[in-house]
Amino acid sequence: MKLITPNTAIEFACFLAALLFLYKDKSAAWRLLIPYLFLTFVTEMIGLYMRLIIGMSNLKVYNTFLILECLFNSYFFFSLYTAYKYKLKWLLIWLGFFAAMYLTEMVYNGFKGFVSITATIMSVVFVLACLYYYYLKLKDEQYEPLLLSPAFWWVCGTLFFYFGSTVCNLFFDYLSNQSVAYSRSARYAIFIMLNITLYSCWTLSFICRYRQRKLQPSLH
Amino acid sequence: MPISPTEITALITLASIIFLIAPLFLIIYVLQYNRKKKKHEEEKVLLLKTLENELLRTQMEVQEQTLKTIAYDLHDNIGQLLSLTTITLSSIDLTDTDKAAAKIALVEDLTSRSTKEVKALSRLLHSEELISRGLFSAIEFELEWIKRSDRFKITFEKPDFDSFVTDSSKETIVFRLFQEIINNIIQHSKATEIVVTLDKFEGALRLNIQDNGVGFNVDETLKRKNGMGLYNIKKRAAIINGTAIITSVIGTGSDITIIVPY
Repeated sequence: MKLITPNTAIEFACFLAALLFLYKDKSAAWRLLIPYLFLTFVTEMIGLYMRLIIGMSNLKVYNTFLILECLFNSYFFFSLYTAYKYKLKWLLIWLGFFAAMYLTEMVYNGFKGFVSITATIMSVVFVLACLYYYYLKLKDEQYEPLLLSPAFWWVCGTLFFYFGSTVCNLFFDYLSNQSVAYSRSARYAIFIMLNITLYSCWTLSFICRYRQRKLQPSLH
Repeated sequence: MPISPTEITALITLASIIFLIAPLFLIIYVLQYNRKKKKHEEEKVLLLKTLENELLRTQMEVQEQTLKTIAYDLHDNIGQLLSLTTITLSSIDLTDTDKAAAKIALVEDLTSRSTKEVKALSRLLHSEELISRGLFSAIEFELEWIKRSDRFKITFEKPDFDSFVTDSSKETIVFRLFQEIINNIIQHSKATEIVVTLDKFEGALRLNIQDNGVGFNVDETLKRKNGMGLYNIKKRAAIINGTAIITSVIGTGSDITIIVPY
């Protein structure tokens, strides 16, 4: 029962929504959301199991998951930009930079601590990626009903999550070192709020995608 | 005084909430802008529809005008010629060969004139085709037709270029504007002289029509119900992004300039 938390519950619900609405989607990026959300849920469960049942640090699990998170989100953003003739080299440059940053921090931490600086910089890059998407939408002369756009809701959720978690990431070390239960519960509450926002927006984007696919059979 | 961990945590929580509110406003801004984009697009569609409707109405009016001219011509000109032919033919006395020969010669002349009139009418029936050949030719042809009545001294200063737009709908509307102005002159001005000038003016085509008629009060005419013609001229010019400048002095005549950008 300890493993069922608001975070795992909303992650699992979002995974089910992805499975239901995206399993027939033509786009690889959208379909990849299903295994990505499943792995997110599994990671969360393993993390909780290690911390609550076994009583050991789960930072290695989250360090590993960070790679997957970066790869998937970067690829998804790239797929959103392809309509605007975005070049592959920028994706590769970013991934190269991320790899270098990640390895450096891992070595610096002695493969023990959480790569919080890398996570913070990744959050900032994803926030910039979201803002760039909005910039493209504002620049685009063609009108698109954004409230029904799956990409728009996906970006909204991502922006809320990464922008909102920036402060927590910046003060990660401080919050981790505080033994006061209040500090930990505050961070936990913020992340519950962020996760609910992220996965609600993403679920909405899956519904929009499903609706779009039903209206435009070419997306099958 | 050192800040307690509780205070720092509260500060982090507050900052996180602010960091959540900021994207919310950004998203609202994007959605608002998008709504404006939609409104702008709808306005564009509406404008296009108005232009299409106006073009259709203009084309119908051009046709109507042609039919009216034909009706008048059939009644006043060809009708008279044919009546005269009938009367002449019925008055021929075959026993008086000299007179009969003269009358037959007159009938021949009348028939020949009727044929010419019918041919001219036939050309007029293809007025739409005339516009497709170019606005300037259509205006020239229309003025030639008016010249035949000998009521007006017409001066037409044709430009040294062939056409001004590739958009035929613009030409049709300008041609209809020209027809409306000329009709007003014929019906109301009591003018004896009409001067039509076509030239280029700051990247636009300028059509100027002057007459030496009785003139009218522009503001009053625009306010009155019978000012619909003038109002239409202004409205139609605006539809093709043009302007109509109407000036008139009572007793001296009027001057109308249509400026349409290329």
